[in-house]
Amino acid sequence: MFRRSPAPSDAEDFSAEALQFLEPLFATAMRLTRNRADAEDLVQDTFVKAFRHSNQFSRGTNLRAWLYTILHNTWRNRRRDASRDTVEVDSEQVELAAAGPAGEPADTPERILMRSTLDADLQAALDELPDAFRQAVWLRDVEEFTYAEIAEMLNVPIGTVMSRISRGRRMLFEKLSASTAAIVPVPAEAGGRR
Amino acid sequence: MKPNCRRICDMLAQYADGTLADTQRAEVQRHLDACPPCRVVAGKECGARQLLRACADRLRGAEPLPPGLRSRCQAAGRSRNTQTTATRWWSRPSMRFAVAAAIIIVFGALLSVVTRQSDALLAAQLTADHVKCFRLFRPDEGKTMDAAQAEQILRDRFGLDVHVPASSNGGTAGRGGQAVALLNARTCLYADGRVPHLMYEANGHDISLFVLEGESRPPAELTAFGHHTRIWSRGGNTFVLITPADEAPVASAAQYVAAEAH
Repeated sequence: MFRRSPAPSDAEDFSAEALQFLEPLFATAMRLTRNRADAEDLVQDTFVKAFRHSNQFSRGTNLRAWLYTILHNTWRNRRRDASRDTVEVDSEQVELAAAGPAGEPADTPERILMRSTLDADLQAALDELPDAFRQAVWLRDVEEFTYAEIAEMLNVPIGTVMSRISRGRRMLFEKLSASTAAIVPVPAEAGGRR
Repeated sequence: MKPNCRRICDMLAQYADGTLADTQRAEVQRHLDACPPCRVVAGKECGARQLLRACADRLRGAEPLPPGLRSRCQAAGRSRNTQTTATRWWSRPSMRFAVAAAIIIVFGALLSVVTRQSDALLAAQLTADHVKCFRLFRPDEGKTMDAAQAEQILRDRFGLDVHVPASSNGGTAGRGGQAVALLNARTCLYADGRVPHLMYEANGHDISLFVLEGESRPPAELTAFGHHTRIWSRGGNTFVLITPADEAPVASAAQYVAAEAH
C-alpha cells in the first residue's frame, strides 16, 4: 500500500502542477455554484481531496481533467446532500425550453462579438442556462475538454454530453441575440451556416 | 422538418466543433444547404461556439481568486506531502533498521529505569549481558588481565574507584582452593553503556561481576535463566555477581570475588 505513494519530490511536483489550475478551477466553480463563498469552499475541498488521493493519479494522464472530475463529483455530492437533485435536467420540459423559438436569431455572431458588453452578456447568458447545459457548454467551449472527459466529469453517457452541449449552445445564442433583438434587426440569411 | 433532420441535429455539436469525419461533415453540409430550419439551428450552435471560444480566456480569468484561497490549497498539499514523506521514510529498508534500533535503545533505556526497581529484571538483564559478553568478548585461551589494569580501566572510563578482585590460584584465597582468573574488564551495554563488567573464570565456569555506580539496594539472591545472581551494595555502589545456577563448582571462587570487591 505504501509503494504507490509518490516520492516526496513527486508529491511536491504534483502539488505545484495541481495549483497552476487554481484560477480556471475557481472560475468553473463559480459557474457551478454562482456564489463566491460556495465556489471557494468547493475549490478548497477539491484540492484537499486531490492531495489525499494523489496516489490514485497515474502520471502521464491528464491532471487537469482529473481535477475537474473531482470538482464536479464534489459538487454533485454536495447537491445530493442538499437534496437539490438535477433529475429534471433531461425532462421533456427542459428539452422544449432548450428547443427555444424555432425562428431566426436576431443577431449574428460577428455583431455580437463587437459588443462592448460581450463578456458580461456571455456570463449572464451562461448563468441563465439550466445547470446541466451550462456545465456541458462550459467544459467544452471554454475549457476545451473532450466529450469523453466531460462524460466522466458529469457522470453521464457521451451521447447525453453531446445533446446537452448542442441544446446549451442554442439556448445561449438565443439569449445573447435576444438581448439586442429589439434594437438591431438583421437580415434573414445572417443566421445561416458558418 | 424532414425525417433526416433529427439525425443531422444530433451531429451538430461535432459539426460546430469540427470533429466530424469528412464524409459525415459533407453529409451535414449537403443537408444544411437544402434545409433552412436546420441551417438556423446550426447557425446558433456555431455562433455560440465561436463566441465562447473567442472569450474563453477572459471567461476563465474573470473571477479573481478570493484572498487566502491559494495559500489554503497550498497548505492542503503540504500537509499531504509531509504525510507522504513519513510514509516513504518508513518504507526504506535502511530506515526500518534505524527505527528498529531506536526502538531497542528506547526500550533498553526504559528497561534500565524499570530494573532499578526490580531485582528480577536486573538479574535477567545482567544475566543476558553475561552470556552475550562471554560469547562475544571472551579473551584468548589462557589470557588474563591484571587487577591493577582493570582498576585503571574502571577509573578512566567510569570514574569509579573500585577494588577489583585479582586472579587467584586458590591457595592464597584459601577456603576450598578454587582458582579464579580475571579475564577482562569491559564496558557493558546495560544502562547506556555505563556499567563496568568484570569477567572471571573459575573451574571452567564463567563468572561476571557488574558494578552499578552510586546505587544502593537491599541484598538479594535469585536465579534467572539458569544463572545465580547475587546483589549487594557496598561503599555507595551496587555489585551484581552472576554465576552458574549450580554454584558448587565455583562457590568459593564466587565468595572470594564477592568478598574482595569493594
